[in-house]
Amino acid sequence: MHRPCSILLGCLALLAVVDGGLVWHHRCQERLFAVADEVRRVTVAGLGLSDLCLATEARYTRHPAVTDLVVPFMDHPGAMDHFPTGSFWAAPVIVR
Amino acid sequence: MSFAKQLNLIDYSLSSLWRRRFKSLGVMVVFAGVIFLLASFQMTTKALTSLAAESLAFAPEITIQKMRAGRQESIPVAYQARLSEILGITAITPRVWGYYFNETKGANYTILGLDPLSMPLGDQLGRAIDQRRLPREHEVVLGRGVQGAASGSGSSIISLFRPDLSLKAMTIVGNFQPETDFLTYDTLFMGLADARDLFGLPPEMVTDLCVTVANPSEVATVAKKIASLLPDTRVVTRQQVQKTYQSVFGWRSGFASVCLLTALTSFIIFAWDKASGLTPEEKKEIAILKMVGWQTADVLALRFWEGMIVSLLSFVVGYTLAYVHVSFFEAALFRPILIGWSVIHPSIPLRPTVNLGETLLVLCLTVVPYLTATIIPSWRAAIIPADSAMN
Repeated sequence: MHRPCSILLGCLALLAVVDGGLVWHHRCQERLFAVADEVRRVTVAGLGLSDLCLATEARYTRHPAVTDLVVPFMDHPGAMDHFPTGSFWAAPVIVR
Repeated sequence: MSFAKQLNLIDYSLSSLWRRRFKSLGVMVVFAGVIFLLASFQMTTKALTSLAAESLAFAPEITIQKMRAGRQESIPVAYQARLSEILGITAITPRVWGYYFNETKGANYTILGLDPLSMPLGDQLGRAIDQRRLPREHEVVLGRGVQGAASGSGSSIISLFRPDLSLKAMTIVGNFQPETDFLTYDTLFMGLADARDLFGLPPEMVTDLCVTVANPSEVATVAKKIASLLPDTRVVTRQQVQKTYQSVFGWRSGFASVCLLTALTSFIIFAWDKASGLTPEEKKEIAILKMVGWQTADVLALRFWEGMIVSLLSFVVGYTLAYVHVSFFEAALFRPILIGWSVIHPSIPLRPTVNLGETLLVLCLTVVPYLTATIIPSWRAAIIPADSAMN
């Protein structure tokens, strides 16, 4: 009969194999991304882009780098931030 | 203690965990869930930050925007002439950009008009477009999200409303490559004159000015000179753009705080339940072990191994699942909050990384308190004389 230790070792080995597979996948992805990075660089430089297109619902989450900190509240006096993405994106630190 | 003795203790710990398998499994699921949530958020925010840092390394060195009453407004093209005396500026490119709301689809598009040939690497921009050519007059290049949302009929013409509701028809001459989706998915790229016509801007106005500086080490100095020459403007440097993205996905954002608080609260309840005492069966087991000759140190070692096995297995499983969640499913759990009410949103190629320092931080925040919460009640039970414990 197997010792309980060997079952634990089997579980750990299985996890090691799974994690090893993930490391291998990560390296393959790195190579693919490196090829695409060149096209992205050209796009960013050629169009002068300042932001990523992650959320398109509000201008302050579509272009956070070039909008003001007060933008979520400036639609009218006393305006509240009502877009859901505003809860995910922290206000950027003011760079002096 | 000898290695063989430790192995025997681990064997006994595993048997003990197996005897209480449903409770042990429940503990592991909660533990792994907390670690999964913490690690997923950590990996997602880090992957987004690195994606922004790598992609925006070629953002405009300086962008000049005119401000009035705390809002950005159009800037006169004539401002370019006022910057001619600043040494170090190699090019100033006027841009017209803004947002277009498609009422039929409920989607927001980003309209961008400029002459890319005056921008760095602008002559190679064709590589980012499937037809390998830049738009000329009355032509437009679409991001893939706009292509899908705007011209599902397969038409090569797109019509957009001007502010006076007259229609402006433009010929679609290409799409941005899929590799640029997370930069251009909602973008319509056209010539400066077409963008100005679409937004109804007068010919002497643009949205902002992109400044190219010859020497990167002079960017800050040039930016200061621009700010002093044009006091009614905001001068945004590439460094500021990158710093924004370094902090924008931080732990201080509202969602992150909720996520962190939920995870920590559930973990505290869980650890409190463990630390508040042992069950009568567990106390009885310790008493029997002491009666058959186990020392207090042996009992503590036994509980240590039990806690270690449960917490380490949960940690590895939680972390692995977090990696799979972020890498293969693009952080699907956080995606509804990340994109909000956006109608068009690209897939985001997240590349999660496992950093030793951050992993150790999560380990210390979860495994160490759990081990402490496991061992202390056992120590309390183990120092009681066996006969008292049995009674």
